[in-house]
Amino acid sequence: MKKKLAALLLSAVVAASMLTACGGGSSESTSADNGAQESADAAEETTESTDTAVDQAVSTADIGEPNGGAEVTLWHYFEAESDALNAMIKDYNESQSEIYVVPTYVSREELMKQYTIGAVSGDLPDIGMVDSPDMASYISLGVFANIDEYLQGWGELDNFYDGPLASCMDSEGQLYGLPNNSNCLALLCNMEMLRAAGIEEAPTTWEEFEAACAATTDPDNGVYGFAMCAISNEEGTFQFIPWLYGAGGSVSDIDSAESVQAFSFLTGLVQNGYMSNEVVNWGQGDALNAWAAGKAAMVEAGTWMIAQNLDNEESIKNDVTWEYQFVPMPSENGNQATVIGGENFGVCSTSEHVEECAKFLMTMMSAQNNADWCEIAGKLPVRSDSVPLKDFWTADERYKVFNDSLNFAVARGPHAQWPTISEAIYTAEQASMLGQSTAEEAAAQAASVIDPILAETPILEQ
Amino acid sequence: MKLTMEQKKIREGLCFILPGFLYMLIILGYPLVYNVILSFKNVNVRTFASGTDVFVGLQNYQELFANATFQLVLKNTFVFTFCCLIFQFSIGFLFALLFSKKFTLAGPIRGMILVGYMMPMSVTALLGKNMFDKSSGVINDLLMKIGLVSAPVDWLLQPGTAMAAVIAMNCWVGIPFNMLLLTSGLTGISTEVLESAEVDGANAWQRFWKITVPLMKPAILAVLMLGFIYTFKAFDLMYIMTSGGPLNSTDVLGTYAYNLSFTQYEFSKGSATAMILFAILFVIGLFYLRLIAKEDE
Repeated sequence: MKKKLAALLLSAVVAASMLTACGGGSSESTSADNGAQESADAAEETTESTDTAVDQAVSTADIGEPNGGAEVTLWHYFEAESDALNAMIKDYNESQSEIYVVPTYVSREELMKQYTIGAVSGDLPDIGMVDSPDMASYISLGVFANIDEYLQGWGELDNFYDGPLASCMDSEGQLYGLPNNSNCLALLCNMEMLRAAGIEEAPTTWEEFEAACAATTDPDNGVYGFAMCAISNEEGTFQFIPWLYGAGGSVSDIDSAESVQAFSFLTGLVQNGYMSNEVVNWGQGDALNAWAAGKAAMVEAGTWMIAQNLDNEESIKNDVTWEYQFVPMPSENGNQATVIGGENFGVCSTSEHVEECAKFLMTMMSAQNNADWCEIAGKLPVRSDSVPLKDFWTADERYKVFNDSLNFAVARGPHAQWPTISEAIYTAEQASMLGQSTAEEAAAQAASVIDPILAETPILEQ
Repeated sequence: MKLTMEQKKIREGLCFILPGFLYMLIILGYPLVYNVILSFKNVNVRTFASGTDVFVGLQNYQELFANATFQLVLKNTFVFTFCCLIFQFSIGFLFALLFSKKFTLAGPIRGMILVGYMMPMSVTALLGKNMFDKSSGVINDLLMKIGLVSAPVDWLLQPGTAMAAVIAMNCWVGIPFNMLLLTSGLTGISTEVLESAEVDGANAWQRFWKITVPLMKPAILAVLMLGFIYTFKAFDLMYIMTSGGPLNSTDVLGTYAYNLSFTQYEFSKGSATAMILFAILFVIGLFYLRLIAKEDE
């Protein structure tokens, strides 16, 4: 009997050690993290599919001398923009002595995981950066503090665009943070390739777009008309939304005839050979790289790609020897749509200095600071009164396309269960593109997941 | 009161056990118990902050087993495990037999095969991802060059071939692992037994089945059990090489549990999935220890 018990215990230990080593589902056991995992997941809005060597590094940059205020930590995943962020923080640290803000870079995937673990353990920074569609989930998990009362007293909220601001709200419209920057998607065309195929103007409608795809596709040389990202993560959904809403469909009506058309149109591109089926494994950076290698005439591209890639010598600047042009995402039946992305900052619920941190956010997101910041970072302001402060978004034709596209940009969510909704969308897209099910079946499958969720909690009207 | 000799011994023994026991209790026991409790609650992104994490009994388990994706994931896990076991064991055994012969370069070649086993799984997975890439992968390139296929194969883009690809990459690690353990089993068989069988007129086939295999039974069972456990809990290979895709075709219990907890914030369902993984490994572990006990007797 004793022996049996010992054997039982021992085998439990064997099995448990196997489990904890693999980091199954328990939020406790996975806290010991495997750095290698991160390198696999392409971060949204970066071109390199592997992460930087440093996962987490306390900034040694100049952020001003300690000002006697309480030290508050700020976690972000800005890379190229971190110098500009540090400069802004230095200004703030020198302008007051209530708090001393110390920024720390944490890779995006690591940061997301830290929020989830922090929701349980309470180990959170004072101020945290978050990708806008994820914010609703973290609000629901209690990661961010309700700072609505401080922000309402500020009197500048009316200047923020509705979409980005709504992504900082819970289902009752209370604010938990402020948006920091926006971006959206447009069509990036290799004009030399289009002209060589007899197409003079970049396409503006789905019909023209499909004709341009057909004309530029050259299977003998492995050249496709179009490249996009349809990967099985949030990036895939992000790139699908413009097509969904362009067709007249919507997330809340994912199995309508219009929504189905979005699935079948993109599937048609693959079936006709205009687009590689490899897009289901491509992140946005991979799609851009295919375009920069001359393997695709057009690509669905984001605002950040101008500064991070097209103008960056360490990226693709020197590879792109041809004339290119950005145009808004093509429209169908007069429907024009794109998707809005961007990052928010929130004050974490465990902070002992919520009010002071909220004040910092208000300074950080003043009209002037937001304009300065977005110019350096090559992103779009989240405030309408920031745009006229500089001619950056109107003088450069490329940024102008994105800035104008914001007028018809659709936000993802906000919804606490957006990750589940998003998974249903990209799964349906992949199932249809890979020919595993028809567009109708794929859409119906997505609806079976999404509809019950939205029936319980609808997406906040903006 | 003076302690008897035996009591003293027990006390000493406890002192030796205690550090390890405490370590196990904290590092393994606590998360395990926490995980069990979590799997019977209803904790997800909606209920997390409001604190309505009520006990729901077996609801999470019932919902999982009724879920088509979970069924697929469970099937994938077993298909992956059994296919890997079959290939890595049989090929590993052949290699072990081959390298038990002392021939020129046997050592260096065996060393090179072992490199696959020594490589971190994340590196193997990234290699696999690149090698099986449709347009730039070396595998399609080779197949096209020798004329086996006329168009690139959609390795990681179709469910069936993606599973085959992850199995192939896992075997790359599993074969040297099996070879290593089976080689040590082979060296345990004294050459005298085999030689005397040969003198008695047994041919190579008979010697293998009547002498080598029976004498290697403990080693074979150990290899199969450990192989099962290591393969069944696969995570990093799929996470990096395919992200469980396309369309969950390479999703296994480990990646599915991670996805539920860390992407969907369905903490209780993720825990329940991990518990199912645990339960299956527990049974296998029990079986393994009983076999060892039997062999000892």
